[in-house]
Amino acid sequence: MKSFQRISYPYILWMTLMIVAPMLLIVLYAFTTQGNDVTTFRFTLENFARFFQDAVFLDVLKRSLIIAVATTVICVLLGYPIAYVIAQHNPKNQMRLVLMVTLPTWINMLVRTYAWMGILQDDGIINSFFSLVGLGPVKLLHTTFAVILGMVYNFIPFMILQIHTSLTKMDQSLLEAAEDLGANRVESFLRVTLPLSLPGVISGITLVFLPAVSSFFIPKLLGGGQYVLIGNVIETQFLTSGDWNFGSAISLIMAVIIILSMYLAKKVDRSPESLGGGSKG
Amino acid sequence: MKKLIALTLGAAMLLSGCGSTSSSSSANDAVEKYGSDTLQLYNWGEYMGENLISNFEEEFGVKVIVEYFDSNEMMYTKLQGGDSYDVLVPSDYMIERLISEDMLQELDLSLIPNISNLAEGVKNLPYDPDNTYSVPYFWGSVGIVYNKNNVDPAIVEEQGWEVLRNTDYAGKVYIYDSERDSFMMAFKALGYSMNTDNEQEIEEAYNWLVELNNTMDPVYVTDEVIDGMINGTKDLAVVYSGDAATILAENEDMAFFCPNEGTNLWSDAMVIPANAENPLLAHEFINYVLSYDASYDNSSYVGYASSNQEVLDELSATDFADNNAYVPRAGYEKDEVFTDNQVLKQKLAELWIKVKAAN
Repeated sequence: MKSFQRISYPYILWMTLMIVAPMLLIVLYAFTTQGNDVTTFRFTLENFARFFQDAVFLDVLKRSLIIAVATTVICVLLGYPIAYVIAQHNPKNQMRLVLMVTLPTWINMLVRTYAWMGILQDDGIINSFFSLVGLGPVKLLHTTFAVILGMVYNFIPFMILQIHTSLTKMDQSLLEAAEDLGANRVESFLRVTLPLSLPGVISGITLVFLPAVSSFFIPKLLGGGQYVLIGNVIETQFLTSGDWNFGSAISLIMAVIIILSMYLAKKVDRSPESLGGGSKG
Repeated sequence: MKKLIALTLGAAMLLSGCGSTSSSSSANDAVEKYGSDTLQLYNWGEYMGENLISNFEEEFGVKVIVEYFDSNEMMYTKLQGGDSYDVLVPSDYMIERLISEDMLQELDLSLIPNISNLAEGVKNLPYDPDNTYSVPYFWGSVGIVYNKNNVDPAIVEEQGWEVLRNTDYAGKVYIYDSERDSFMMAFKALGYSMNTDNEQEIEEAYNWLVELNNTMDPVYVTDEVIDGMINGTKDLAVVYSGDAATILAENEDMAFFCPNEGTNLWSDAMVIPANAENPLLAHEFINYVLSYDASYDNSSYVGYASSNQEVLDELSATDFADNNAYVPRAGYEKDEVFTDNQVLKQKLAELWIKVKAAN
């Protein structure tokens, strides 16, 4: 056992360098400010105060959370049935269907988002079709609808894959047992399949919510520059105004929110298992 | 334009014809002459003629590695991160900042004889009057592109920047998504200097922009404005002069106007960073860009005003003959050049994101 532990040292070193060190730098930046000529930096809570005392930034944060929650909910509602249908097929077809779900992700996300711009814009594919049947151009691009559409489209494969994995891992004999005990299909779905697939749903939710809440190029491209989400505010701090301290502070606030929501998700994840009564065994 | 492409293609074929016989030795020649045969160039996206790089590589037997940035700040961030380049093409205020932070090398002008070709409009620029550190690449102004069929030219000329807040055109407006250019337009509309750091004036400009944001339903874009206006998606747009020249050339319904309240006269120039690995080749490149052929290729393809006087005269008489966006307005007293002011810039950046988020 000891010798195996030693093998992990390079990985621990790697993780320290690539994950822990940058995180510490962000924390350092967040709690400091570029000082005067005497000291290069000094500790402060100013960056956080600046964020929380400003109604505009809080509005942006609220908007980002609403968009991310909406995206996640839609991904669950659409992704679960899709994953369920896929899981009903024989293994070979399942492989093909999963491939179809993941196929778009082989193309760069940015390129696919640009493609949506072409589809949604005023003289794009959808509006050209509308004008053929005599409907005026509908404003699709640069709307909340476009932003949520872009996010759902980009992130739903994560949801489907997670749910699909947990559905296929499920022991089919449990369903037979439920049937033997007199449960109809709806009952056995609600009382066996759904609780057992919840861990997949939860990890799907985290995988969708995290990128959705911090995405900055989807709102920028599909929402237009006027669609400011928290990711755009952070991007501006680093690339335009060059205020790394404030940018780091906002990133840290986001990290805390994300850690909290993951903690809550974990809690939800655990409770149905205890309700399900020994499903683990 | 076609003729030009044919010509340059011909030239490229000729060059490659001679080059192929001696390509292995020319690489060695380059190493001997410049100390290296690789040039690291960091330039704006969509900012070079089609054959500029390949022609330079052929002619001097070297290899050019190009990276692109889309804001001066992005370039600055990478430079500060320790990345090394041989030639950069930043804008006026950023050059001023790089000079003040000792991040640039002084140029050896004896290695850049083509500097005698420099256009009148880019001589003695305030941020580097004697070309100690920089050699201009492109220059221009910022103005309004509008659709002549939907917007009366008389109204645009009378209202200037204020036409962008004329609610007759609500929902028909592109605004350039950059805090400096947007605040420039607000300052100018209010009759202030665009380099002001007077709190009261900044506050007024902020309110000017918030009202625009809340009443006009504008779309904030950067490079998308070019395709958008060529396709006639909107009726009014804030556009850089070179992009405007491209739009006017592609869509004859569009016109360009530089408001009488004044505008931003900008220039982008080639500089050699202090940590450049290959300054000799960098000088050669800068000299090459200033040559007639390279400047012609650049300017005719991209549409921005050339820093080479001869090319500027030639193109404004031919390709861009009826195109008032090509040659920037020179010598108008209300036009200004941005100066470097970090505190102001950060402040405007924060206000700008608030303008956009306010609704």
